Amino acid sequence: MIWHITKREIYDNLNSLRFALTTVLLMALMLTNAFVYLHEHPKRTQTYHNATTKAVKELEERGANLYRLATEGPGLLYKAHSFLRFCAEGDEAYLPTRVSGENYFSDIANVRPIWRLTYPQETPNLYNIRPDFTTLDWSFIVGYVLSFVAILFTFDSISRERERGTLRLTLANPIPRHVVLIGKFLGAFISINIPFVIAVLMNLLLISTSDTVQLNTESWGRIGIMYGITILYICIFITMGILVSTAVRESGVSLVVLLLIWVSFVVFMPNTLASIGSRMSVSMPYMEFWSERNRLDRETRKAYEDKYGDSQTSPSVHVVADYLKSDAEQNERFTAKYLNQQITQGKRARSITRISPTAIVQHLFESFAGTGLERHLQFIENAKRYARGYRDFVIDTDRSDPESLHAIGVPDGMSQKPVSPEAIPKFKDTLSLYRDFDAAAMDLLLLVLFLVMLLAGSFLAFVRVDV
Amino acid sequence: MLRTLIRRELLDNLMTFRFAAVLLITLLLVVVNTVVLIQDYEQRLESYNEAVKMHDAQLREAKTYSTMYLFIDRAPNPMSIFNVGLDKRLGNLVGIWHGFVPTLWDAGKHGIDNPFIAFFSSIDIVFIFEVVLSLMGLIFAYDAIAGEREHGTLRLVLAQPIRRGQILLAKYISAMLCLLVPLILSLIFSLLVLINSIPLSASDFLRIAGIVFTSFGYLSLFYLMGLLISVMTRRTSTALMLAMFVWGFLILVYPNLIRAMVNPGGNIEARVNTVNNQVQQIVDEYERERIKFLESEGIAEEGSRFHEVLGLYTQASVDEANMMSYIENLTDISDIPTDFERYVPVAKRYFDFVEPLTIRATERVWLVRKQALDDIFVRQATMDRILLRLSPVGIYDGATQAWSGTDLQGLRDFFEAGRRYRKVLIDYFYAKDAFASRKWFVADKGAVDWSTFPEFVFERSDASTNAVRALPDMFVLIISNMVLFMCIVLIFTRTDV
Repeated sequence: MIWHITKREIYDNLNSLRFALTTVLLMALMLTNAFVYLHEHPKRTQTYHNATTKAVKELEERGANLYRLATEGPGLLYKAHSFLRFCAEGDEAYLPTRVSGENYFSDIANVRPIWRLTYPQETPNLYNIRPDFTTLDWSFIVGYVLSFVAILFTFDSISRERERGTLRLTLANPIPRHVVLIGKFLGAFISINIPFVIAVLMNLLLISTSDTVQLNTESWGRIGIMYGITILYICIFITMGILVSTAVRESGVSLVVLLLIWVSFVVFMPNTLASIGSRMSVSMPYMEFWSERNRLDRETRKAYEDKYGDSQTSPSVHVVADYLKSDAEQNERFTAKYLNQQITQGKRARSITRISPTAIVQHLFESFAGTGLERHLQFIENAKRYARGYRDFVIDTDRSDPESLHAIGVPDGMSQKPVSPEAIPKFKDTLSLYRDFDAAAMDLLLLVLFLVMLLAGSFLAFVRVDV
Repeated sequence: MLRTLIRRELLDNLMTFRFAAVLLITLLLVVVNTVVLIQDYEQRLESYNEAVKMHDAQLREAKTYSTMYLFIDRAPNPMSIFNVGLDKRLGNLVGIWHGFVPTLWDAGKHGIDNPFIAFFSSIDIVFIFEVVLSLMGLIFAYDAIAGEREHGTLRLVLAQPIRRGQILLAKYISAMLCLLVPLILSLIFSLLVLINSIPLSASDFLRIAGIVFTSFGYLSLFYLMGLLISVMTRRTSTALMLAMFVWGFLILVYPNLIRAMVNPGGNIEARVNTVNNQVQQIVDEYERERIKFLESEGIAEEGSRFHEVLGLYTQASVDEANMMSYIENLTDISDIPTDFERYVPVAKRYFDFVEPLTIRATERVWLVRKQALDDIFVRQATMDRILLRLSPVGIYDGATQAWSGTDLQGLRDFFEAGRRYRKVLIDYFYAKDAFASRKWFVADKGAVDWSTFPEFVFERSDASTNAVRALPDMFVLIISNMVLFMCIVLIFTRTDV
């Protein structure tokens, strides 16, 4: 019986104007998405490739001398690009693309400070005078367009039948009400999925057949998961449409209510809530960070100079090495503290947007596409782990030389033996799926919760409604 | 008769649920976002004030002319609450010195934002109107004719001695009156919140009036689009679907499709390379003349000692990415060497020759660069804007940005003022005969007195300039309204009921 009602709904929809328009719109969007991605991705990959090659070359040039390796550091560490950026661009455009392990400090009292990890601030849109654009990625197509389409497919599903009186006829048959409801739900669900799946397949066909992109099994798995999330998300809006359609007598009013809900939850809430949320934990201003860090540096240096600056004999290499180490460490700690403040602010802003299912879907897509904040945190962690490994490598290499004085950062105090370029650890940024699941579990749960609540609501409303 | 019709329509519209819902949601969105926007503005203002204080102190610290660091800061525009435009995005801090002509592409930012929240754009009031008003216009219009036709009331009305145009006019006037209520009311509420925290000038109110007028035109355009759909379709459900998809396409999809456009400037890389070569030539020429001068003074071989004594550091460099070149002749003589006095007259002659040369070279670079920057960056932005105007959103956004002064022109005004200020600085140097003075490079006989140095003031262009800039968009808006209305009248008179 359910199938019967579903079939009727689908036939109704297939012949309708909205189905045709949806198909055209979704196909146009998905094709644009694929074309833009195929146009931009090779350029991005090339830039990344050039940058990393240059960084590795510079590192290997330094390799001949352990002192230089210890002082100059590993150079710039770049973030790898995700192949799935067409699914969710996230805030990639605004996030820094690298972490710096360079040494750009000038000598202080003839002592060269050693490198430390810093997080370069970039303002990528600083010179961009083009109008504001949203990237037409999957998360936009699903989050905005598909939810809008879902509303248009369901706003009149109950109210129109009631207006026309066909609902009475249907219910006069020996069919339980929930079967009608499920039938309607499935009907709308399938009719929205048909154009969406066609559009997605065309998109993937274009992307996977191009020779600049290689989607591996993991990527396909991720795309599958994203499709699952899309289904959950569409279900939320379909259920909401049916709920409002049941509760409201006229279909015109039902549409207005739904559109206002849609506008508030989809268009306004993510941004407005994020603005409010970002004020709940404000990171220190950049100027303050800058002057505070300089002050700390000066203090460490002053403590060192007070102790050894006036003595006639120059301090021993170990004293200098200790100073250099503590200077780099406290500077790095403070920089990391500032970064953490910024990240906390970003996370606060994101967590409060979870009131809107669209924002949740955006987060989920970002997590699985390997873009956005979560991915960036992963990258920073990778960089930090690599930096530790690099430091250990320098210390171990130095230790293995019996002639060395083991004073890291002092030219005469370190091993003079050449280091082979191959032995130096190189930075490689990787994405891992397991971490994404951890980050996404909460969001998925919330999404399911939304759906269950709405399903229960629409069931109750439909069972109790008088025709 | 017209009045009766209008009254009927007005009552019909005002008593509906959709009117109440739209009013409520607009008020809520506008007020909440105004509060958020004010906080954001105040934060930016604070960081601006701090930067100004710091840069002023930096200038006063300079003991010699050549070691001066002069920065100018751009204050946040209070009108950015209405349409933020490029106000927040582009640089608000630029260095001023005679060896460089600053542009928008050389600016930095005081107070770098947290990159992890940069993604969330602040929603300005115009954006709310953009989305909600357009939706409202369509919702009020889609069943205006089609609904009456379905119900059969259209026949009844037309049976009366009324011209068809009058019916349309009555519908238009009454709907617009209704739709104006949420627009005006929400603006009044937001202004009430605004004036308590941000001082607005009289011309700001003129600009706001301009924005209201533009919003009215935008609203009317969408209402007319809805009416056109309603006249052309037989059934309300078809009209509604068409209206919704038109909305989704024009507001959600089309503005973002433009991003896929290619740059009309052609091969940018080649262009950048030619410009860089040209700039490099000018810089080389500058270097040749500088060295020729050193030779003519007979210190060419001795040059290194001359440089060493003066702590002279000359750099004429070309930044490839931005086609930028800057020329610096810095001296830093904190501890005066013993054979210093011997070089003082030569140094005075040297700087008196080299700094005007720098100014000339810089200005030649500027002429080359200005053209290229316009070709590469501005042409693409203009192209985007033109394409964007095919959607009413683009027209509305462009016009309100022009009114707010947050459009490209409004921001370029600031950099124009910065370039004028550079002229002021150069004039000041000439007036003080700074290049040929001892204070240019050493402060051993008294530091430079900066008290008479003219301060930088930047006034936003007045409301009439804003109006002139908004005029093309307003014109397009009004014309398209009129054309649409005529189309509707034509179609409506020719259809049978």
